[in-house]
Amino acid sequence: MSFIEQIQADFDAYAAQAEKDSFYDIRANAYAHFQKNGIPTLKHEEWKYTNLRKIAEGNFAPSCLSTLDAKSLLDLGLLNKIKSNKIVFVNGCYREDLTEWIETDASLVMANIASARKTHQEVFMQHFGKYAQTEKEGLNALNTALLSDGAFIYVPEGKSLTYPILLTNISDATTEAVLQQPRNLIVLEKNSSATIIENYLSVGNQASFTNVVNEIFVDENGNLEHYKVQRAKGETYHNNYTQVYQNGHTNINQVTLTLDGLWVRNNLHFYMNGLNCNSLLYGLYITDGNSFVDNHSRVDHAKPNGFSDEKYKGILMDKSTAVFNGKIMVHADAQKTNAYQRNQNILLSNDATVNTKPQLEIFADDVKCTHGATIGQLDEEPMFYLRSRGISETEAKKLLLNAFADDIAVKIKIPELVQILEEEIARKL
Amino acid sequence: MLTINDLKASIEGKSILNGINLSIKPGEVHAIMGPNGAGKSTLSSVLAGRADYEVTGGKVDFMGKDLLELSPEDRAREGLFLAFQYPVEIPGVSSTNFLKTAINEKRKYHGLEPMEATDFLKFMRSKMEEMEMDKSLTSRSLNEGFSGGEKKRNEVFQMAMLEPKLCIMDETDSGLDIDALRLVSAGVNKLRDGERSFLVITHYQRLLDYIVPDFVHVLYKGRIVKSGDASLAKELEVKGYDWIKQEVEAAV
Ligand SMILES: Nc1ncnc2c1ncn2[C@@H]1O[C@H](COP(=O)(O)OP(=O)(O)OP(=O)(O)O)[C@@H](O)[C@H]1O
Ligand SMILES: [Mg+2]
Repeated sequence: MSFIEQIQADFDAYAAQAEKDSFYDIRANAYAHFQKNGIPTLKHEEWKYTNLRKIAEGNFAPSCLSTLDAKSLLDLGLLNKIKSNKIVFVNGCYREDLTEWIETDASLVMANIASARKTHQEVFMQHFGKYAQTEKEGLNALNTALLSDGAFIYVPEGKSLTYPILLTNISDATTEAVLQQPRNLIVLEKNSSATIIENYLSVGNQASFTNVVNEIFVDENGNLEHYKVQRAKGETYHNNYTQVYQNGHTNINQVTLTLDGLWVRNNLHFYMNGLNCNSLLYGLYITDGNSFVDNHSRVDHAKPNGFSDEKYKGILMDKSTAVFNGKIMVHADAQKTNAYQRNQNILLSNDATVNTKPQLEIFADDVKCTHGATIGQLDEEPMFYLRSRGISETEAKKLLLNAFADDIAVKIKIPELVQILEEEIARKL
Repeated sequence: MLTINDLKASIEGKSILNGINLSIKPGEVHAIMGPNGAGKSTLSSVLAGRADYEVTGGKVDFMGKDLLELSPEDRAREGLFLAFQYPVEIPGVSSTNFLKTAINEKRKYHGLEPMEATDFLKFMRSKMEEMEMDKSLTSRSLNEGFSGGEKKRNEVFQMAMLEPKLCIMDETDSGLDIDALRLVSAGVNKLRDGERSFLVITHYQRLLDYIVPDFVHVLYKGRIVKSGDASLAKELEVKGYDWIKQEVEAAV
């Protein structure tokens, strides 16, 4: 069965047994969109450098039959040691046995969406499918139609999470190629705050395709710290669509660390729907081997007095490729916008490639926007200086790359994450 | 300690060093003077192992080892230190972490265990006191935003930390105010222990009032054209280089 036939069969099976409620309607509608657009090809403007052929031709299938000892795997990692609320999915399937909830306030919610859409139906349906567009985005449509499961995180008005939420997805492709489509919905009501870490891991020698959609809604005066840590090794394909919808006076700090994965595409979209929104988008990608990492972002300044700061940095080795495409859209209404964007890359090999494309579209007149991109090598002068003090080439590189990564690292408020970053730099050199 | 034999080097096909001969024994202080562009920094760079220069002839022996065969880091680990004429700024690399790495890499090379963090900090603090270094400098990124004089003082501080056998100082006095010059010279004199040798490149006799050299050499057009004792520097201060240039031209 081809991937497309597999998808068709999966949707038929779902439709046959689904209750025909509004949840179903959204998904059936998304499926119609998927049928119309399919998986994007290189002809699609937003996918020009990003080849999905391997995915379209793969034989990925969903499966909850993993026998992975996820607990032991997670216990080995540094992230699990953070005092945090934990929710785990393996191949997209909820692992209730690994959930840890340490908050005491019973009004805070962290659940899997399969159950939350019933237990918190009203909030769930108020937001589900409202932010992630399916009409023109084939992979969003696919996720919406055939989502595996995912996390529902709900922080009611005036509440705050005391501890971060660690949301882990593991793809287990030990016995066969797997498809998982995590779908997360995060709702922060007025005056609330939360820290959420999305954590992606993998095991197994077969291929896996992870197609994630995150919908994040932050109401007025809300504060969100959102981290994404991508470390799925092996033949992993990872498409991550994150739509953030923020109302006035909200602060969002988003850091994406892409540290492993054969093929990664991140689509990060902020929509600032109120006055005085503060949106910070930072990222670091370290690529090696034949890996491909694409960060597409879009920031919509729709209302006045918004501030956005975006900085993505890349360290590329071997024959790896990175794409950066950042669009800042300043709507006619959005006077007094301050928007900054930078993409900086260090190539440690002659065979590595970067395609970077900053885009500004400004329809208001009283705005301050800057953008810039650089691609270079490690400077020889600092390198020689360090070596002339007895520091080996490798150690000198490590020092300089950590220094390069430092302006992203300082945006991370969780020390364990910074440590992971440093270890990853050291490991790859 | 160091024996340079007919050393020739060029950059981008242009010959800069045209046969340098120089021998430095343990504990000696040698000064090199000479007009701008004579090749003084080139000599120090070639000795430190900068890859831009091509060595086209000659030999350098550093305590029984073929110096030119060693990587820059191994030269440093063997005990060679170059205080740069223009130290680079390295934002994001903390001075402390840099020094700890440098010391521990050297220790590893010599088969020693890394220094404990607390021992290292104690050692650094004592050296800071000895060199009268301001604490605020070492808590910053390496040389980042340092003034010209602060960078030079930091070079001498690093020298004190790394305890080299041969210190090459490339115009460490340039850009120092009078007090800083005195501090740097005092620092260098503290490091003079009868074993450690110095190769001091300078344009000014003033430095040599503080750090009194055993020998003074004049480098001109890539050659050492005159050598003498400390009095040669005083003579140059008065007479300039023209008479030497004329002597050289006459000899050709
Ligand atoms: N990268 C380079 N490319 C071309 N020429 C160079 C390069 N580096 C040095 N030179 C030349 O080599 C010569 C010697 O330079 P060097 O820096 O060694 O002089 P110096 O004696 O240290 O002078 P100063 O007293 O001004 O510091 C100069 O003519 C200089 O222009
Ligand atoms: Mg010079």
